[in-house]
Amino acid sequence: MRTLGLIRRGTAGPSRDLWPRLRARLADDDVVALRVPAIGWLDATAIAVVVGTIALVPDPVRFLSACGLL
Amino acid sequence: MVRRRYLLAYLIGAGVAGTLLTAPYAARVAVIELIPGATTFSNVPFFLLPILWGVWNLLWARLQPAMSIGAWGAILGVVAGIAVNLLFVAVGTWFAAVMLLPAFLAVLYALLFRLIVGPLNEALGVESEPAGMARTG
Repeated sequence: MRTLGLIRRGTAGPSRDLWPRLRARLADDDVVALRVPAIGWLDATAIAVVVGTIALVPDPVRFLSACGLL
Repeated sequence: MVRRRYLLAYLIGAGVAGTLLTAPYAARVAVIELIPGATTFSNVPFFLLPILWGVWNLLWARLQPAMSIGAWGAILGVVAGIAVNLLFVAVGTWFAAVMLLPAFLAVLYALLFRLIVGPLNEALGVESEPAGMARTG
């Protein structure tokens, strides 16, 4: 029993302190470069088509509901 | 085992669709409050969209088709539009404006895939490396 106690006291247990690990993760240069493409004429036309369709369709609420936008 | 790139592609698609779906749900509540007569809501299972978008983006990562991510999204829009038409016909709630859905969703999904899903795929490493780079790297 005495020997077992000595062994237990002699070895360091696993570190339960998570703060050092969290600080290390936060200090990491873990950045993502998000490059959103520039909006061109094609995109502008597409947006106009979407908005125009919603504006011109007879029952916009029902239409938007049917396509999951409402 | 699933490759990390494929899993990430699924999560990006599902995450974007799931995040965007919060807007229609909020808008629906607002419309019900603001327009008293607006009760003609269709019961389309759009809660399945995140799964559909996730699988579609996973297929993009896996197949790497020879087209832009916007065109890939447009195909999904056409498929979803046709599916909604068939659902409405089956349930008996079809109306003429639904015919526009395949074209409308194609344009909308093309925009969303080009402006949101594509950049996320690129930033998080879902896009596969070009063959030359992969050999040298």
